[in-house]
Parts: sequence; structure tokens; C-alpha cells
Amino acid sequence: MEVLLGITGKDFTILAASKAAMRGATILKSSDDKTRQLNQHTLMAYSGEAGDTVQFAEYIQANVQLYTMRNEVELSPSAISSFVRGELAKSLRSRSPYTVNLLLGGIDPITQKPHLYWLDYLASCASVPYAAHGYAQYYCLSILDKHHHPDINYEQGMKILRMCTDELKRRLPIDFKGVTVKVVTKDGINEVEYDDSKQVISA
Amino acid sequence: MDSLVAQYSRPAFHNEGYSQEEQQELSQTMPGDISLKFALPPVAQPHAWLRAQTDDHANPSCPIKLAHGTTTLAFRFQGGIIVATDSRATAGDWIASQTVKKVIEINNCLLGTMAGGAADCQYWLAYLGMQCRLHELRHKRRITVAAASKILANLVYSYKGYGLSMGTMCAGVTPQEGPALYYIDSDGTRLAGNLFCVGSGQTFAYGVLDAEYKYDLSEEDALELGRRSILAATHRDAYSGGYINLYHVKEDGWVKHGFNDTNPIFWKTKLEKGEFSNVTSELV
Amino acid sequence: MSRRYDSRTTIFSPEGRLYQVEYALEAISHAGTALGILAQDGIVLAAERKVTSKLLEQDTSAEKLYILNDNMICAVAGMTADANILINYARQAAQRYLLTYNEDIPCEQLVRRLCDLKQGYTQHGGLRPFGVSFIYAGWDPTRQFQLYQSNPSGNYGGWKATSVGANNASAQSLLKQDYKEECSLKEACGMAVKVLSKTMDSTQLSSEKVEFATVGKTKEGEIYHHLWSADEITALLKEHGLAKKEDTETG
Repeated sequence: MEVLLGITGKDFTILAASKAAMRGATILKSSDDKTRQLNQHTLMAYSGEAGDTVQFAEYIQANVQLYTMRNEVELSPSAISSFVRGELAKSLRSRSPYTVNLLLGGIDPITQKPHLYWLDYLASCASVPYAAHGYAQYYCLSILDKHHHPDINYEQGMKILRMCTDELKRRLPIDFKGVTVKVVTKDGINEVEYDDSKQVISA
Repeated sequence: MDSLVAQYSRPAFHNEGYSQEEQQELSQTMPGDISLKFALPPVAQPHAWLRAQTDDHANPSCPIKLAHGTTTLAFRFQGGIIVATDSRATAGDWIASQTVKKVIEINNCLLGTMAGGAADCQYWLAYLGMQCRLHELRHKRRITVAAASKILANLVYSYKGYGLSMGTMCAGVTPQEGPALYYIDSDGTRLAGNLFCVGSGQTFAYGVLDAEYKYDLSEEDALELGRRSILAATHRDAYSGGYINLYHVKEDGWVKHGFNDTNPIFWKTKLEKGEFSNVTSELV
Repeated sequence: MSRRYDSRTTIFSPEGRLYQVEYALEAISHAGTALGILAQDGIVLAAERKVTSKLLEQDTSAEKLYILNDNMICAVAGMTADANILINYARQAAQRYLLTYNEDIPCEQLVRRLCDLKQGYTQHGGLRPFGVSFIYAGWDPTRQFQLYQSNPSGNYGGWKATSVGANNASAQSLLKQDYKEECSLKEACGMAVKVLSKTMDSTQLSSEKVEFATVGKTKEGEIYHHLWSADEITALLKEHGLAKKEDTETG
């Protein structure tokens, strides 16, 4: 029951990932960070098979950073999405595929437009205004369908995110220990203080 | 000659970025000349085959019974790290040993714990010990716990799907990190944290440990909490028992706090503190 | 003295030179001139085509100007056969990048890939360096319009206006004289014909003797590259009064 959420707005992209690291019936850690920063303007959130997730994320991170070093230019979020999709497609047809689902969020350093990509382990890749992975999809996409607009500002974005996490707390049968929230703007990537302490009880 | 140039000029640009193989090669810290090439059963899926031969849950008459079942725990606190384990090894329903050393002394500052396949843990933690020593010789400084745990995590990840079974914790104190604790398992998961319990008795240990754990625990209280948590697990988990192996990792290395039989500790706890009241000492 | 060192590209001479590389540069300085000028709204490449025989089919496509991908073209000076190998390599590299990242390769990266290949041939024993210099014209979103030049050693650099091939020294000084920072593509084309007419052996130019290509932006903001047809070249030459007389009469 891992939760990944992504929301774009006028000049930002928000990514949120659940903090619980679960193995079997045990929560091993409740402050896990399921994101990796790829470069100044791109962030990746991941979920899926234990072990695969971090290995794949760090593999992508290393390659994107290598590109930046070699070329003194950053890859755009759209270029990274194609690269990651290609790697997933390659992996899918190998003897041991990575079972990893991803959200890729960023700001194009040239056009300064926000971008969000939804990718799964079958190497689908879709550019979307908002996205979710796992069971969170079933609860959050309807909320996002109703409340999201492409030109929302950061405060409105966070408000919609709060609606999503509240609903998940209310209805998901397993506690995901809240979410880490990171925001990408033209100035870079920042972690946001996000209060998870509130209990939400269904009416 | 052409091949010479090809060899020289291609790798940098042939593919964008690194291939999976290259990455895996990089991630394995110099297996070098000590052979890590194991003979594999000549079947399509070694993992499935191995499970068929060893899984006594699904097949009670399986030919190979691996030593399994454990309770291990480690937690960080103000005075360092407490590491505690039981000492029972079981192979199916059979108690194979009551005196297993489940804390593996990687070096005088690093400890590893053993849960899952006993052989897997012993072998790979010994291998990790070797890598740590080589790191010291190469770099003239002790390896960080982060780096050591990553060597192990990358290693087990490279064998993912081949049936390794390990749940281990690396605990150590280094000048760079202070007290550091990592959980690594054979899925390839590697997590840093304050507190972990691993093994079939983990839930029982968590129950006691979580309730009374505070980072500010005194050394004496911390040792007692570690001991008591293992005791709780040995009492309820059939696959845990034997002796309580207790360690305290401090800045200048680890200190062993005994390898004590659970039985007297249990009775002492019961009689002096009145706990375990469901156990009656009198015949009714 | 040099005999002992010049047959092997990988070996420095006692004076610290790589003779094979210098010979390659020398070979290029006899080839037809090629030049490029960077303007505000585009880039023009122009090249002299040496007519060796009347019997040679003249109108078969460009032989000095090539398209590398959707946002880049180049001009060649030197051995065409060598150039073909490198151009094929560049086209493949550009397509591979497009396949991986789903966007066009940044100009400098493509130039660098070619130059890394060229460099390899100055270091490995028994191999001859590529006897070609290139002028590249391209556009990418990070650095807009760009002009580069590279030579057999694998060195490259970005330029506002540059030339390679025969008489490139005089072409270069003419360019330095005439270049204006804020010139338009049209003005740049004019400058290109003028420089070419002065550096070429024959005073009269014709569409058979020169090739032209431009990179620019359409009104809609899309990038185009265009290898000029004979008619377009003739029109440009006429405009600047440099066309051959017979040409003007026969139309």
C-alpha cells in the first residue's frame, strides 16, 4: 500500500510519497524517503518491488547526473522521461526486469513549464497534469479530476494534496505513515513541512 | 587495428549512459580474484528449484531443511547501539542448535546480525568483513557503516532471485556518522533507522521494545530493554530460544554483555517482577 | 629527420608535433573553400565546388553541404570519402540520441562526438587521421543558432563567421572586416557570396561552382534548413552582380 501522488500547477510540480517502509506485516520504518533528485529541476518518486526501487532510482540518478557533468547542460524532464521509459522497456525484456512504478516531476529549465510523467514497470509513459500510483489512484484521481486546474497556484495545489491525503487516511485500510512532500519550482527542489499528525475519521 | 580504435572509441557513446551489466559490475565492489562464481543447479529457475527443495512449509517432506527462525534486534540510543539476539537454529520442527552466535563481529567496531538462512548470513557477513578490511587497507581509514551496508545490499541484490534468505542489521559507530544502524535484507532493501527487529519473533520483540524505547535511555536500561525484548520473543516464538546474546556498540568499539541462558532469566523476571503471570509455577 | 616520425600518427616528433595531423591539415588547405556566417535570424553556409572536368555530371546533388539531422547541417572541406564516413557516424549518433531522449541532440554534443572520433585517429597506431574539416550550422533550444568548426586533430570551436579550405586565411580576414554583429540572414548571404567571389580562382561565379545552404526560423517559429537549388543560387548571384555573363543571357 505505497502511495505516490503528483500534482502540477502554474509554475510548480508537487510530488508526495508515503513514508512507510513495509516488509510483510511489519512497518520497518516510518520516515522512508521514496524520492530521488535527478538534477536541479527533476525529481523522481518510486514504488514497487523491494530492492528494485532504490537500485533503479539510483541507476537513473547516476546516469542523469553523469549527463549533466559531461555536457554542462541539464536534461529536460521530457528527455529524462524518454530515457527512463527506454531503460524500463529494456529491463522489461531482460532476464530480471525491474518492478518499479514511477512519477517523474519537474520544471523545464528553458520554457519553465511544469511537467509530470506517470510511468509503470511495463514501461508505459504518459505526460499528465496530476497522477497517482497504487491504491491511491482509486481514491485520489476523482478528487483531482474535480478540483485540479492547470493554472492553480502553489497554495491551491497543496490544498488539493491535503484533500487527497485526508481521503487516503480516511479510507485506506493500512496506515501509510503520512507522506513526504517535495516541490519543484524554477528555483529548484524543496522539501515541504507536511503535517501528518491529524487523525482523519470517516463520517 | 580497426578493432583497436573501435574498442577505444565506442564505449563512451555506443549507448546513452551505462548498460545494466556495466552498472552491476560497478556496483559490485571488486569481487576480483576471490571467486564468487557459484555452481548453480542446471535448471531454468534456480530460485524455484531451491524453494521446492527447501520449503518445508509447502512441502514438509522436502529433502533439505534450512536453518531458519530467529529473533534479532538492534536499536540506537544516546549511549550507542544495543544489539541483541536469541541463539536457536531450527530446521523445520527440529531444533538444530541452541547455541548459535547470531551476532557476527565484522570488526571491532562493526556488528552484523543473522536472521534467515544461517549459512547465507555467515558466508556473506564474513565476506563483508573481508571487504571492510580491504577498505581499511586501501583507504587507510575505517569504512563507514553506510558504505559497509551498501556493499552488502548491492551484493545480495546482485543475487536477487537466486534464493538467498537473509535479514540482517549492520551496527557500528564511526567518527563520520556517530552511531549508525542499517537494515539489509535479501530482497535488496537497505534502510537506515533507529530501531529494527528481524526474524520470526520480530513482532514479539517489537511489542516490548516499541513501548519502552526512548533515545535517551541510560546504558543500563537500554541493555535491560534489549534483553527483555529478546526474552519476550523467545517465550512466545517457538523458533526462537536458547541464549540471549547481548552487545553494546560504543564509540571505541563494541562490548559484549554476555551469552546467557533464557531459562534462569525468564524465572528471575517472573518471580522478581511478577511478569509472565500466565505461567504458573505451582502445580494446580 | 621527420621521415622517422611522420608515418605514425601516434608518435610525437622530437619537436613535439604530430606530422600526420599536420599533413591532413595541409591536404585540407588545398580543398575548395567553405565558409559559414552566423546571423541574428539564421546561419548561412557556402562552399566552393571545384569543377575538375566538363564531362563530370554537375547537377547531381550537393557534394560539400550535408544535412546531419533536423536541426543541423554542415559544410565539408577535404576528402569527401572521409567526410562520408564521419557524416554517416554523425547522423547515426543524432538518431540514437533522438531515440533515447525523444528530442534533437544539442549541437555542441554532436560536434563533440564527431571530434572524439577524429581524435581517436590521431592517437591509435597505424591509422590515418580523417582528412576533413567541417563547418557546422545548427539550432538548439538552449543556445539558439550556433556555428562550429572542427579539424582533423579533433579540435573544435564556436564561431560567428569562419572558413576552411583553400585561401581560408584571406577569407577569414575578409569576414573579420565585413562581419557585423547584428546582421540578418539575408545580409549574411550577401557577405558570403562576396567573400567567396574574392577567394575563388575564377572571378565569375555560377551555380555550378558554389553551393549554398541556410538554417533559419519560419514565421511560425519552426526551425528549417534548406540546401539551395541552382535557380536560387543564380538569383542570389545576380542580385549581387556576380553571376557569369553567359548565365544571364541564357537565363
